[in-house]
Amino acid sequence: MGRYILRRLGFYLIAAWASLTLNFVIPRLAPGDPAAAMFARFEGKVAPEAMGALKAAFGFTDAPLYAQYFTYLKHLVQGDLGMSYAYFPSQVTEVIGTGLMWTVALAGVAVIISFTLGSFLGVLAAWNRGGWLDSGLSPALAFLGAFPYFWLAMLALYLFGFVLGWFPLRHAYGHDMEPGLSFAFAADVARHAVLPAASIVVATLGGWMLGMRNTMVATLGTDSIRLAHARGLPPRQVMLRYAARNALLPNVTSFGMAVGFVLSGSLLTEIVFSYPGTGYLLILAVRNQDYPLMQGLFLVITLAVLAANFAVDLLCLWLDPRTRAHA
Amino acid sequence: MKFARVLLPLVLLLACSSEPRPRPPGVLFVSVEQQSAWVRNFNPLFAGAGARWPTRAGVYECMQIFSSAQGRWVPWLATQHAWTEDQKTLRFTLRENVRWSDGKPFTAEDVAFTFGLLKKHPALDAGGVWRFITDVKVEGPRAVAFTFSRVYLPGFADLAHQIIVPRHVWEHVADPVTFTNPEPVATGPFTQVTLFRNQVYELGRNPHYWMPGKPAVSALRFLAFPTNDQANMALVEGEVDWAGNFVPAVDRTFVSRDPVHHHRWFPLYGSTVFLYPNTTRPPMDDVRVRKALSMALDRARLVEVAMYGYTRPADATALNDAYTAWKDPEVAKDSWTHHDLARANQLLDEVGLVRGADGLRRLPDGKPFAVDLEVVSGWSDWVRAGQVVSRDLRKLGIAVQLKTYEFGTWFTRLQKGEFQLAISWSLDGPTPYNFYKWLLSPRTVRPVGEVAAANWHRLGDAEADELLIRFERAGTPEEQRALMSAVQRRFSALAPAIPLFPNPSWGESNSLRFTGFPTEQNPYARLAPHAEPDSLLVLTELTPRER
Repeated sequence: MGRYILRRLGFYLIAAWASLTLNFVIPRLAPGDPAAAMFARFEGKVAPEAMGALKAAFGFTDAPLYAQYFTYLKHLVQGDLGMSYAYFPSQVTEVIGTGLMWTVALAGVAVIISFTLGSFLGVLAAWNRGGWLDSGLSPALAFLGAFPYFWLAMLALYLFGFVLGWFPLRHAYGHDMEPGLSFAFAADVARHAVLPAASIVVATLGGWMLGMRNTMVATLGTDSIRLAHARGLPPRQVMLRYAARNALLPNVTSFGMAVGFVLSGSLLTEIVFSYPGTGYLLILAVRNQDYPLMQGLFLVITLAVLAANFAVDLLCLWLDPRTRAHA
Repeated sequence: MKFARVLLPLVLLLACSSEPRPRPPGVLFVSVEQQSAWVRNFNPLFAGAGARWPTRAGVYECMQIFSSAQGRWVPWLATQHAWTEDQKTLRFTLRENVRWSDGKPFTAEDVAFTFGLLKKHPALDAGGVWRFITDVKVEGPRAVAFTFSRVYLPGFADLAHQIIVPRHVWEHVADPVTFTNPEPVATGPFTQVTLFRNQVYELGRNPHYWMPGKPAVSALRFLAFPTNDQANMALVEGEVDWAGNFVPAVDRTFVSRDPVHHHRWFPLYGSTVFLYPNTTRPPMDDVRVRKALSMALDRARLVEVAMYGYTRPADATALNDAYTAWKDPEVAKDSWTHHDLARANQLLDEVGLVRGADGLRRLPDGKPFAVDLEVVSGWSDWVRAGQVVSRDLRKLGIAVQLKTYEFGTWFTRLQKGEFQLAISWSLDGPTPYNFYKWLLSPRTVRPVGEVAAANWHRLGDAEADELLIRFERAGTPEEQRALMSAVQRRFSALAPAIPLFPNPSWGESNSLRFTGFPTEQNPYARLAPHAEPDSLLVLTELTPRER
């Protein structure tokens, strides 16, 4: 057991190193000159003579790639992600810091709600196969999930925010709110989160529900469930402890993947609802060829996904005795 | 469905508390920068980088302000200036009783120190002033003299517009290029950062501002809007008092919602948008071909389709409305910017680019005349303009392919001269000197493959350059105007680039809570908040209706 966990940990460390290296290589393969892109944003406000000095200020070097790579690794270890080009002269850590917490909170909560609720609905749908939940809600959710997300979010914003005025149109909290550990602030944050979180939940719920329903249906057909029924266990216990627990595995595995979505995929949510998160930063970084910011964001996303997958591994170990047998 | 019974009332409870919040009196809500979250940076010296608005015209100030709406220089930190007889020395007299926001006096030492910083850190010298000055001398607490290496009168604008920083703060800054200046000490009307969070920040009044009783506005507040749509929605709702956004169909979506208070003013003071031909590639090296391309364009339809009719077709001087006084009416009448497809066809026939059986014109080597037109993907107005241009040019028998690129790639190709046709902006200044220099002067031409800051079409004309050099030394307005007329004639004769339309300078205001915004009737500044340094004029003029 302990050895198994250590082996997994070793695997994740190698994966982390590989992604860090890719993170270094990929932006450098992209076409275009970041100094020129940077210069372009000034639209002629900077004399061409300042260009060379600018390059120096931004730390563009003609050093060989391997030297740049070691500098990059060294700085990473020191927690120095460099200076953002797009937000020059601010540090990348500072720029990412403006939004990371909000993205994690909003998208994290939304993904957890969607996963829990969707899996639970899937269990119910499979248990009462052919019922209204199965034949009505799951196709309806699949239908909603098939809509372009941007459109769905805009519609929610327009209807519940602009026309009905039930929810705020933007931001994570009212701009005259004092952030702190007060009930008023918490309520304000929750009110601001309803529309963006609900739109993520609505868009992804169908996937979780269908996935859960299908494996659950398969599990229900196995001998172990028939045996449980035959032993006269209460149906509720059979449904949750025997069938659902076994059927949950594939969904838990995809949950690990979905965490990546938490940081990068909530980009559209953040744009529609002006949510001050990291998603929008990513677009901006790509548009400005802001390598340090891109690398910083990818680093955060990569590490989060790896950590989530490690947690999922441990969860599977607990859920499924078979993985333990291998260990 | 138990959760519905719990969740729904909770949602409704949260929703009920959403009546509009009262707005603090005297606080002006401004929308200028589009950001998803604010980063605290008030470095005024590093031009165009990520400093928060209005760091360069509102927090900090310059010596004099050129108001393009009025066409004159407004004294600011300096009350006067004078050239010596030989025009090699320029003296500024600084205003009395100006203090920094920490109470220390503003003196000539601060001015000399600021220019010293630019010399030490060329990345800060955005205007390139140390190309033409050799020394800055303090001649008393309120007198500072600049020594020029040669007679160069347009240099006045670069010196007068330079942001001045306090010596007693910046002499302790290790690297002024990478300094984020979180607590600015400045001379401007708004210097106190009273609130700074990721989605909102607020600038309070300078307690020591030199203009008595000003500013009347008690604070500026900035909300983060990541996109134009979000910013426009806040404007329409009345949450924002002053903005400089592109608003589609502005009269219907914004002005008509409250015609008394909602106001927009889009004067044509923005840089002229050009269709740039790469003149290093035949047949675009032939002026007749360039003029034929120009005459094939239906500019009236172009501005209607691409720009919602917010602008007008460019004339043969290519000058925008800020330069009306400089415009030579005779040159403006030249016909090569008028839509005349017959004449355009005739010109190409003359050049020998005759049509083949398929209707496409043939180059001397027998290949069809096919070009790519490059625009930035996502810049919807230019993409639409590109569509109109390519359709018009196809009528001339040219196979035009519209290609969109990501901004960085597009600009690299433009700067290195790797394009065939491209739509882009132009550069300007207080006089048309910079504008024509970047269009015509051989001093600005770089070889293909090398990055050029402008003159992307790569055409230099010695005769125009001589006129421009004489303009650099021309003292009297009459002489300046005569030279500029001659430059315009050269421009019109050579057609180095094809002007499409002057860009509007976008500005919207809501006078429900504040009065004094510039308008067409009272054009003391441009309404566009990005039109620095005009925002200094506006911020000191606005008055709240309630206090």
